[in-house]
Amino acid sequence: MNKYALFLGCTTPTQVIQYELSSRWICKLLGIELVDMDDFVCCGINQVNLSQEAGLLLAAMNLAYAELKELDILTLCAACTGALAEAVERLKDQETRDRINSKLQTVGLEYNGKTQVKHISRVLYEDVGIDRIKSEIKRDLSKLRVAPHYGCHYLKPASAFGGFDDPDNPKTLHQLISATGALPVQYETFSLCCGGKSFPISKEPAFSLVQKKLDNIMNKKIDSMVVQCQTCYLMYSDQQKVINEQFGKQYNVPVLLYPQLLGMALGGDPKSDLGFGLNTISLDNLLAKVGINKEI
Amino acid sequence: MHDGPIQVSKLDANFRSEVLKHKDAGGLNACFSCGACTAGCPISEVFPEYSPKKLSKMVKLGMKEEVLSSRFIWYCTTCHNCEQHCPQNVKFFNILNVLKNMAAKEGRAPSPWVEQTQQIMQTGLIFPVDKVLIQKRESLCLPALRAEGKKAKRIIELVGLDKIKANKVNVE
Repeated sequence: MNKYALFLGCTTPTQVIQYELSSRWICKLLGIELVDMDDFVCCGINQVNLSQEAGLLLAAMNLAYAELKELDILTLCAACTGALAEAVERLKDQETRDRINSKLQTVGLEYNGKTQVKHISRVLYEDVGIDRIKSEIKRDLSKLRVAPHYGCHYLKPASAFGGFDDPDNPKTLHQLISATGALPVQYETFSLCCGGKSFPISKEPAFSLVQKKLDNIMNKKIDSMVVQCQTCYLMYSDQQKVINEQFGKQYNVPVLLYPQLLGMALGGDPKSDLGFGLNTISLDNLLAKVGINKEI
Repeated sequence: MHDGPIQVSKLDANFRSEVLKHKDAGGLNACFSCGACTAGCPISEVFPEYSPKKLSKMVKLGMKEEVLSSRFIWYCTTCHNCEQHCPQNVKFFNILNVLKNMAAKEGRAPSPWVEQTQQIMQTGLIFPVDKVLIQKRESLCLPALRAEGKKAKRIIELVGLDKIKANKVNVE
């Protein structure tokens, strides 16, 4: 049995709860044990903007908590993945680790480089495996055409991911989507960032980036985008609605978190197991297409 | 970003070495201005007047005031494309963080990041955990969030992050 410390981050458990719900459901079904950690705090990714040292310390605190329980960390948010994995990489340097540990001492913590960090999709890909996922499929999703969006920090900075997948030509989410029976559709703006990390500072660039991708996807006859980060989700889903209202646009692109898509293929109840009722853009058409017509 | 002739009298000869003394910014000297960073930058795609290549050049020339007062340094989406595509292995993302940290120390930090820090000191998270959320999570049979920021607060105070004040000028 694979066992991980569950790193929920800040945004998933407060604003995108369907990501947490569906992740817990699929992990239980596939034998990934998730340990809830009371002590985890923010990964520090935004604090890096003001103080790199503070950002690294916050990340290191979390690594230290997981190490106390002799666990690796499973993340849901791509940005937390990037921040924590980059911290693991930086703390391989003895001088840096000594300096950070001397500061962590004030709160009784220490990180010795044992705890590693993996995004849930990577755990599914590496620990569960594509073949096992395929063998567990209960529902036919072969009519679905979906647009994958990886999220920048899932694979970058590349130095923090030890060669797992190729940031310039990634394949793992495509394969994870194919394993559910759905068809991953390629599109030109595929690698474009969601702009979520600039959104709190200025809406203008983020809205432009979101629209570039939605314009492209609207022409691809897809049933849904599939993302693996709650910030990307919020940008393409909640902000899609805001853009429609503010700029008179008529985007209508449903957005699923990957565990919701996988959960549907594994036979989960869209509402109670996978939180479909919490998604901003209606998934009714998509559900009808896979033969689930009940009200959610 | 800077436009027009450079005013030599406004240059700060120490700025480059001030930036380079940070371990993270060490790659800057290797930049040969190919522009791969700019070609892959989503912010340059939206604002053609912003360019990581140009910003690197401005740092090298000592254009301190213009660099640290630019709103664009705060727009980075942290996508890491600049360093991913750099043939010289320059970590522009890290250089930009050094610049932002310098600007923040001078009281030029945008308020959203300062407010998030204050929130972390309360709940350990960048968001509050209110009654509505607690009930919502309960109704979905999800574990309660401890939302305890004491230790994070001590760490934040230890490195003086709590002392960083927000810029009164909105960068938006």
